[in-house]
Amino acid sequence: MSDPSSKPERKAHLLYDKEGNPTSDRPWIFRTYAGHSSARASNELYLSNLQTGQTGLSIAFDLATQCGYSSDHPIARPEVGKVGVPINSLDDFHTLFKDIPLEKMNTSMTINGTSMWLLALYVALARERGVDESLLRGTTQNDLVKEYLARGTYIFPPDAHFRIIAEMYEYSLERIPNWNASNICSYHLQEAGATPVQELSFALATAMEVLDLIKTRGHFNDEQFEMVVGRISFFVNAGIRFIEEMCKMRAFSELWEEVTRDRYGVTNPRYRTFRYGVQVNSLGLTENQPENNAWRILIETFGVTLSRNARCRALQLPAWNEALSLPRPWDQQWSLRLQQILAYETDLLDYPDIFDGSKVIQSKVDELKSLALAEVDKIRGMGGVGAAIESGYMKSSLVRSMSERVSRIASDELTVVGVNRWTEGLPSPLMGGDDGGVFKIETNAANEAFETLAATRASRDSARVEAALAALTKAAENGDNMMEASIECALARVTTGEWADCLRAIFGEYRPVTGIDGQKLLLENDRVEALRARVNAFIAKHGHRPRVVVGKPGLDGHSNGAEVIAVSARHVGFDVIYSGIRLTVQEIVASAIEENADVIGISILSGSHVELGQQVMDALTKEDAADAIPVVIGGIIPQSDFEALRAMGVRDIFTPSDYSLTDVMDRMLTVVEENAEK
Amino acid sequence: MNATAIDTMVIKALEGHKLSIARLISIFEDARADAPTRRRAVLAAFDQRQTRRAKFIGITGTPGAGKSSLIGELALRLIAQDPRARVAVLAIDPSSHISGGALLGDRTRTNFPVGEGRLYFRSQASDLELGGVSRTTFPVCRVLDRLFDYVFVETVGIGQSEIEIQQVADFVFLVLTPLGGDQIQFLKAGIMEVPDAIVLNKCDAVEEARRSYHALRGSLSLSRPDDDERVRIFQTSVTHDIGIDDVTRFILSLERDPLGRSMHRKERYFFEKWARDEFGRTGLRFLGHCGGPAHYLAASDFETAQVAFRGDVAKDVGTFITGG
Repeated sequence: MSDPSSKPERKAHLLYDKEGNPTSDRPWIFRTYAGHSSARASNELYLSNLQTGQTGLSIAFDLATQCGYSSDHPIARPEVGKVGVPINSLDDFHTLFKDIPLEKMNTSMTINGTSMWLLALYVALARERGVDESLLRGTTQNDLVKEYLARGTYIFPPDAHFRIIAEMYEYSLERIPNWNASNICSYHLQEAGATPVQELSFALATAMEVLDLIKTRGHFNDEQFEMVVGRISFFVNAGIRFIEEMCKMRAFSELWEEVTRDRYGVTNPRYRTFRYGVQVNSLGLTENQPENNAWRILIETFGVTLSRNARCRALQLPAWNEALSLPRPWDQQWSLRLQQILAYETDLLDYPDIFDGSKVIQSKVDELKSLALAEVDKIRGMGGVGAAIESGYMKSSLVRSMSERVSRIASDELTVVGVNRWTEGLPSPLMGGDDGGVFKIETNAANEAFETLAATRASRDSARVEAALAALTKAAENGDNMMEASIECALARVTTGEWADCLRAIFGEYRPVTGIDGQKLLLENDRVEALRARVNAFIAKHGHRPRVVVGKPGLDGHSNGAEVIAVSARHVGFDVIYSGIRLTVQEIVASAIEENADVIGISILSGSHVELGQQVMDALTKEDAADAIPVVIGGIIPQSDFEALRAMGVRDIFTPSDYSLTDVMDRMLTVVEENAEK
Repeated sequence: MNATAIDTMVIKALEGHKLSIARLISIFEDARADAPTRRRAVLAAFDQRQTRRAKFIGITGTPGAGKSSLIGELALRLIAQDPRARVAVLAIDPSSHISGGALLGDRTRTNFPVGEGRLYFRSQASDLELGGVSRTTFPVCRVLDRLFDYVFVETVGIGQSEIEIQQVADFVFLVLTPLGGDQIQFLKAGIMEVPDAIVLNKCDAVEEARRSYHALRGSLSLSRPDDDERVRIFQTSVTHDIGIDDVTRFILSLERDPLGRSMHRKERYFFEKWARDEFGRTGLRFLGHCGGPAHYLAASDFETAQVAFRGDVAKDVGTFITGG
């Protein structure tokens, strides 16, 4: 054993291992968020991704699974297999993880409303395979705050979801100690328009709410509680302003260290480490000149990798064409290669933190920290995150940030290359090929889910199913931990819909505030004035103010688009009817008819626009209103689907390239005027 | 739009066809000068047929008091207990001062089952009117009167000066939550003089509810010493199904126009309001000079009276002003 003091003087630019020898860091975990169509197809994708050098699984579930519906539920049908894999029962999990050794995998599941159910399925799978469940490693996302605020896959009211989170921590710490029961996600908040300060403060306030609850429940002693604090991990976003984003990550690390030490008295420094994974920003990816997104993704990656003290533990990158469609396997591979080049070709991992000692960086970090702490205090002063959700404060703050962002792009204050500057360019060869550069889902993918579901229902022991559900009900009512009852449900082949329905009956379903009340755009210019004048001319001519029903049918909860449209429409003088997410097509059409609306605007980002568009048109026809009320659709809609939508009678189509809200309002008003003239 | 088209629309509306109902309502919201003719035609078509007659229930109270979900629950129980009944909700929301546009009623809070033909929900923008209801609320009530048995009119709910609901509704409920901080403000603002009954909603905690009940009784006896006993206070919770049946039974037991606010009286009030909107203070004095709303409404319907008064203004207001 050598004496370190006898070694030559250490150099500040080198990294040293425990023995004092120069070393370099291990790379972060490379992940690709994936899953689609069916358990079988997703399993094939995972096996091939693992072969190309991916080191962890990140599972995307379809919206039906995320919202607690079996594939054959009417509201689920258009969504089966669209944004992820459909999971109806343990049989699907056997297929999904075929030939993948659970004990060696680090599995991240993007699952929230039904997180307990999916964890129960994973444990049940291990038990049936004879794998020691204490070896399971991974994460269930399980952050409901950002679901209420931005993503929309909540099911129950906040109290019930917080209870579920706490019970999962309690089960995990004892039975699957390497499992992260939840993962505080500010990622989706930035996608919904959050500023860095909002991202920091909302995430910290959420983490504190979870920890406070766990502490209050009194299940753990102090030592165990420290371990729980150590299991809290985060999932953040990284935007294009990469210096600020890097400072945000340093601020996050410092704040978490301070909160865990000072507020929760965590003595072991290991449990105070800020651990986080990242998906870089998709909000800023453009449909115009989509090849530019490759650079954006690279730059955004710097924000979470350059500073060693605030480097991510795991990274997943979007694909260059995400504003156009879901990515194809090649697109994902291209993004993965970026990570591999950065980690293995460059010298990034050879250095200690290269920003330590920078006055500029520290000053920025300090500013972010103090602003974030002030906001955390404000939220806690309102009674905490739960209260700030129910009162609508957090949602309204986000909608305001988003409205400001779109106003700034529209007024050219914020430059987006290819969108509001340097918009002329040569056509992209990336958009060629048979598929036009976009992903097409197998059209019969849903059938496989329906068939497996039917087979499961036919072959299971119905008495065991009933007993398992009865036990779940009892646990829920008595306030007992529902994990073990859920695992028995999984083993008994209870379906996703049955598990969620059982708890819906006890906890009820939740409908949060929309957050658009009282919002305004910072957009006042000649064109807005001109539109208001046209609205007034319409009123004079037709005797009423134009009315628009803005609707988000189905399970897709990404409501930014709909919210911004609702706020804009009111801004130019429409009367607006918007009731938030997760409505059925029938509800939206009934609103439009009873309100005698002049136009229906539908927003769909999940890829189900053709099915849902057809459902809207059919529902209108059934009520003799197909001619009376025109329909326009907005969302991530590839050009190749325009014809089908127009053929069914959709009057106008808006995509991310229609970034100018004034243009969108102009066209919507034109549709209204033309229809009124008929 | 010709008389046959209107006739067809009326027939279909009476059968419960929603798009027809929606269009009839729009005729009564129509701000154009020739709209009264169409309104007259609609009412004439109704007069030829057996129609319903509605009880108008006003609902006022602060935001967050749970007005919408309470109305939703009451409506469902009304149609369950009275199988022939049809129920409409007319909800008024504030308009933007800048653009004039409005964000209209969150219909989903009422939780109406889709496809229930006997329930109908319509939103209105306040159009910057004070008083809690819109300029077109009363006109629309005139058509809803023929198509529904119960009509809930939900005011803007900003908590101040929501007095006009008394002129629209036959019976007014003020919805409050137990010991809301805004309650004190309410009492000061004199809104305690508006309601015919009070619903203390969200009474999930017994003790809090009890305290609020007594506090309210106390302030009623101060603000309305003459009739405070008459004002019933219901304690309800939609989530825990407390007291909703009591309110439902109470509404079912109400006579049509229980407090003598006849349609004629309402017409007189809103005729005067209309005259003032159209012709200002001078117009209003001119109306008084000509014998008041009663003069115009005595011999003719609301629309004909409007046309007649407009004609008189054009003819004689000049001489009236110059004192001739």
